[in-house]
Amino acid sequence: MAVVATPEAQARVERLERIWTERPGLLGWLTTTDHKRIGILYFFTTLAFFAAGGIEALLIRTQLLGPNGQVLDPAAFDQVMSMHGVTMIFLFAVPISTGAFGNYLLPLMIGARDMAFPRLNALSYWLFLCSGLFMYVGLISGNGPGAGWFNYVPLALKAYSPGPGIDYYALGLIFTGISTTATAINFIVTIFKMRAPGMSLNRMPLFCFAFLAVSFALVFALPALSTALIFLELDRLLGFHFYDPVNGGNTILWQHLFWIFGHPEVYIIILPAFGIATSIIPTFTRRRMVAFPLVALAEILVAFIGFGVWAHHMFAVGLSTITDIYFAAASLIIVVPSAIQLFAWITTLVTGRPTFKTPLLWIVGFIVLFVIGGLSGIMFAAIPFDQQLTDTYFVVAHFHYVIFGAAVFPILGGMYYWFPKVTGRMYYERIGQASFWLSFVGMNLTFFPMHIVGLLGMPRRQYTYPSGLGWTGYNLVESIGAYLLAAGLIMVVANLAVSRFRGARVGNDPWGGDTLEWATTSPPPPYNYAVIPKVSSPYAMWDREDREQDALRLAQGRQVLEQGHETPVTTVLDADWDEIVDMPSDSPWPITFALATSGIFAMLITQHFVTAAAFCGLALLVLAAWHNREPQEA
Amino acid sequence: MSDLTRSMEATGAGAAARVEQQRRALPNGVWGMALLIATEAALFGTMLASYYYLRFQTSQWPPPGIARPEVLAPAILTGILVATTVPMFLAARAAGRGHARAAMWLLLVAALVQGGYLGVQIHLFLSDLHKFSPGQTAYGSVYFTILFLHHVHVFVGIALVLWLAGRLIGGLTNYRLTATRAIAFYWYFVNAMAILVVLTQLYPSL
Repeated sequence: MAVVATPEAQARVERLERIWTERPGLLGWLTTTDHKRIGILYFFTTLAFFAAGGIEALLIRTQLLGPNGQVLDPAAFDQVMSMHGVTMIFLFAVPISTGAFGNYLLPLMIGARDMAFPRLNALSYWLFLCSGLFMYVGLISGNGPGAGWFNYVPLALKAYSPGPGIDYYALGLIFTGISTTATAINFIVTIFKMRAPGMSLNRMPLFCFAFLAVSFALVFALPALSTALIFLELDRLLGFHFYDPVNGGNTILWQHLFWIFGHPEVYIIILPAFGIATSIIPTFTRRRMVAFPLVALAEILVAFIGFGVWAHHMFAVGLSTITDIYFAAASLIIVVPSAIQLFAWITTLVTGRPTFKTPLLWIVGFIVLFVIGGLSGIMFAAIPFDQQLTDTYFVVAHFHYVIFGAAVFPILGGMYYWFPKVTGRMYYERIGQASFWLSFVGMNLTFFPMHIVGLLGMPRRQYTYPSGLGWTGYNLVESIGAYLLAAGLIMVVANLAVSRFRGARVGNDPWGGDTLEWATTSPPPPYNYAVIPKVSSPYAMWDREDREQDALRLAQGRQVLEQGHETPVTTVLDADWDEIVDMPSDSPWPITFALATSGIFAMLITQHFVTAAAFCGLALLVLAAWHNREPQEA
Repeated sequence: MSDLTRSMEATGAGAAARVEQQRRALPNGVWGMALLIATEAALFGTMLASYYYLRFQTSQWPPPGIARPEVLAPAILTGILVATTVPMFLAARAAGRGHARAAMWLLLVAALVQGGYLGVQIHLFLSDLHKFSPGQTAYGSVYFTILFLHHVHVFVGIALVLWLAGRLIGGLTNYRLTATRAIAFYWYFVNAMAILVVLTQLYPSL
């Protein structure tokens, strides 16, 4: 609860506390619509999937530690390798950034009391959890998908993958896609309509611009994946012929559809990391971001241009030369907005007064790794180079530098940065720095030699290799690096876990942060802000007068909105006051609807189509019950 | 700020209409619908693009043994469905002016026509299934999949309209007014997609 100056203000805060506090205990968590609690649920769930994906990675590296490895048989290796990719991309990287960081921080940063659609937000989480478990049921029952994360046909068709593994993949990803689409729509409406009065779009933090770009990319990219997967399941379950050349289908159709989704997905993974970097850098350099408008535009441009480059994943397929050249050129254009951001971060660092605390260390590490991954990425835009090295370990090195180095490092930095806000306690700084260095060394030992073995011709995805090809030493180093990296990551988790209970207590704003979330208590109360904050720049926390006015208005009872679950809705561009809406409170319907939807998918995978239709009917009934009471009746 | 609208307190027709008139931005519910439509449009876009991708990979379309689609019935049906844009638009306008009854009746008229459309379309779909199957060629696969996707959207649209008409019996609130605007918006989209779908369905005969 916020500590406030006057008895009147104290009374208002207590009233808000009564209105907004959800029911306690397990039931409270199951029915919650509080974006912060949903963010925490996402955080722990995605962390569990990260651990599963990490164990799969260690199994792969243990298998490849030396020649002729016997830890996994070929089929098990394929499943573990496929699920490693699927888990890290769909069950960790995207949902931890959007679901955990976005959910927790976005409403706080824009001065809102919740997301635009709180129950839809809860539904996103429960659908995500159920879809992740659905896919892991496949792996644990020995029916994991074995055709890699991009699951090319014809290998993924029934004739070559007869078991249900691919069905778990395809149905599971359609399932996750529903959840992610709901999240993306919720973010866009929240960003457009729920910003605190005065936070016109040009005063919105860069973190929010990154999430806006990601959400739009998700809205338009996911349908391509859904289409590809629906076609695949129709082929597999009902004998359709979308991908079957003998009967007029086409295998390249899968590749186009998959990569129309797949390349924007790369930016969907990395843009939140850019957003985290642009939050941490100003705080620890004590200066505003250089070229703020350019960075905001670059974040949106990256997402936009990302839709026009998909066929650079297909240079070796045999498309026409003119097509290849177009996609090579488009891929090179992405360098421009990426470089704008890179130079802006570096210039801010160089011209500020940086203090290299743990969060900033991860960001500096990220910049180094992003440059290395970016440079190897540019190489792939050269078509002959790509044709030579596609499907070798050089590609694996490149995308791990980009996805692990450039996307996950800022996520880890962000975990340290916002830890005091979420828990009200400080982590151990020295252990935090040590965990960074261990992970940084482990990461480079694991992935840098992959460039070399790739150049030496080692193909990706093979379950073992013979001795005498010159790959053995590099693979040994990579595996040692993977164990070091795992140790570094365990250190991060251990530091945060112990600090949660034993760390020194901190106030609202231990870092002197620049954005609004630091204005409220640590952890924030259920209503986020006792008074709707005043905003007059993108660095709201550095505008001391505004914050003093907030305290004054709380004492005077202005802009407190204490008649119910109230929050302001503002206009899209200028964030002028428009109306005050009542937000729904905790609800049992999202989790019920998610369970009914799980029933549909469980019946589809077991091919009980009539029962699946019955679950569809049940889901519709749940929806009707959900909307039976209107917000003002609640 | 104190004179700002508390939207959810608008539980009568007049109050709901006033909120609607005072509001400067689109309500959150309509924004949510707009984005759902955006993602759905992308879904239809990739499905229709796949149709033409498959078509231009082969010389004979439809493949030998499958007749070209009949133009007349689907074209007329689509015209009828698209005409329901008018009652949907009028229903949204009536609700915006606080006329709950008028909105409800307009919705029911629209639902009646939409239901008739869906009934005849299902009949045509089944009779097509007797002539050629989706399990025979890629042409059949993509033909029936796109039509099915469209029909599911029509079904969902009718369900929404009936649900809304049921709510409007109890009069107008801010919530129902926003729902009317959002569902009308959804139907504009379904009708626009109906035109693209029928043009694609009939493409071999055009």
